[in-house]
Amino acid sequence: MRVLLLSFCCGLIFMLLQTTLFAAVLPPELRPNLLLILVVYLSLNESFSRAALLATFLGALQDVFSGTTLGLYAITQLMIFMLVRLFAARLNVESRRLLLILLSAGTLMQAVVIAFLLALFADAGAVLQILILSLPAQLLVNLLTGFVLLNLLLKVQPLLGTRLGMAGIPYQSKHHGA
Amino acid sequence: MRHFLKRHQTLILAVLLLLAMLLVYSFNLRQKSATTLLERVVLAVTEPLQAALTLSGRSVGALWTRYLWLIETQEQNLALSRENRELRASLQGVSETRLENQRLRKLLDFVETDPRPVLPAMVVAEDASSWARTIVIDKGALQGVREGLPVVVAEGVVGRVIKVAPGSARVLLVIDASSSVAGLVQRFRTRGVARGNGRGLTFEYALRDETVQVGDLIITSGMGGLFPKGLVLGYVTQVQRTDASLFQQIELHPDLDFSRLEEVLVLLEPPP
Repeated sequence: MRVLLLSFCCGLIFMLLQTTLFAAVLPPELRPNLLLILVVYLSLNESFSRAALLATFLGALQDVFSGTTLGLYAITQLMIFMLVRLFAARLNVESRRLLLILLSAGTLMQAVVIAFLLALFADAGAVLQILILSLPAQLLVNLLTGFVLLNLLLKVQPLLGTRLGMAGIPYQSKHHGA
Repeated sequence: MRHFLKRHQTLILAVLLLLAMLLVYSFNLRQKSATTLLERVVLAVTEPLQAALTLSGRSVGALWTRYLWLIETQEQNLALSRENRELRASLQGVSETRLENQRLRKLLDFVETDPRPVLPAMVVAEDASSWARTIVIDKGALQGVREGLPVVVAEGVVGRVIKVAPGSARVLLVIDASSSVAGLVQRFRTRGVARGNGRGLTFEYALRDETVQVGDLIITSGMGGLFPKGLVLGYVTQVQRTDASLFQQIELHPDLDFSRLEEVLVLLEPPP
């Protein structure tokens, strides 16, 4: 329960930052998708059911903070979680580079799923064009932010001392049997 | 059966969650104009925080643009000086037109057609996604804001309210890909629909016969009853005509910078 609450609060803070501070200084395509980074991280570090629920809740939170219909980002984040989990079961997730690769895959997956859902259920209109045009910038910004956050967390984590490890260091072996 | 369920429980959970979310999404698509309880709660709780953070963000942004990024300021300065000279030159003509306008209004017993009260609001947050274009304002249902009300600034149309919480509301900008507003070319009165494309607008269904030119002003037509007639949507920046199509493809540039919106006006419902 504590992890669920902490992750949700973290997601809320990320959303507030994304819609206010980042919005004041960066154009939309250059704002990092912090929630996506959080979902990828949680997908690697939490149990299946907990991570699935968190991905869905965080996606719903992103729906509320975006002008989108409730459910769009919830589905997208859930699918990103599944993709990461699928890869994580087969690869060495203790590698930091892999986390960044998974983040890139997540960014691409997000664009594809949103485009697919909008084309299937709603009027996609010019959204596809916007998504394609902003994708390279989004990829770059998400990778850069993911790298910075990962290094920051690795430095902060020994000070907290509550949980041993995170994506990129041996903690994952508990869940993935490495 | 039990063995099968136990063996594939994670997969079943994921599929069930996915199906549930698809149902939620498709249900909410049909209820587009309604604000869900979750949206109302989150908007109400986070609005004060967003307002505080936005003010801090603007201070940082102002520091960057005013003191560190002076190239843009210099360009703006040159453009404004040029515009100032042009405006001074046309001022004589405008004052003459104003007098003529006053006389004609009196003659026609002109009545102001839009008695709607306006509500000033501050922009407290932007959209969390990279492709949707919405903003959050610090006025909501308690101040009389309802879904569908138009939001404007002096330079033209901003958008319309799509979600309302007690003390805040979300506004869909006219440049959002899902936004469309009935408009007309001011010079020819040619009707069409202005659709958002993320950065600006495209003016669709304007008949090819009328030769719209770059620089022409597109205003709201008042059709549909949402936006009052005569609000500025943008200036024509590009026109494409092909023999194969009945309509011309027109690109618009809005007269306001949507990334720097700070205060807006909500046009409230007229008193009964």
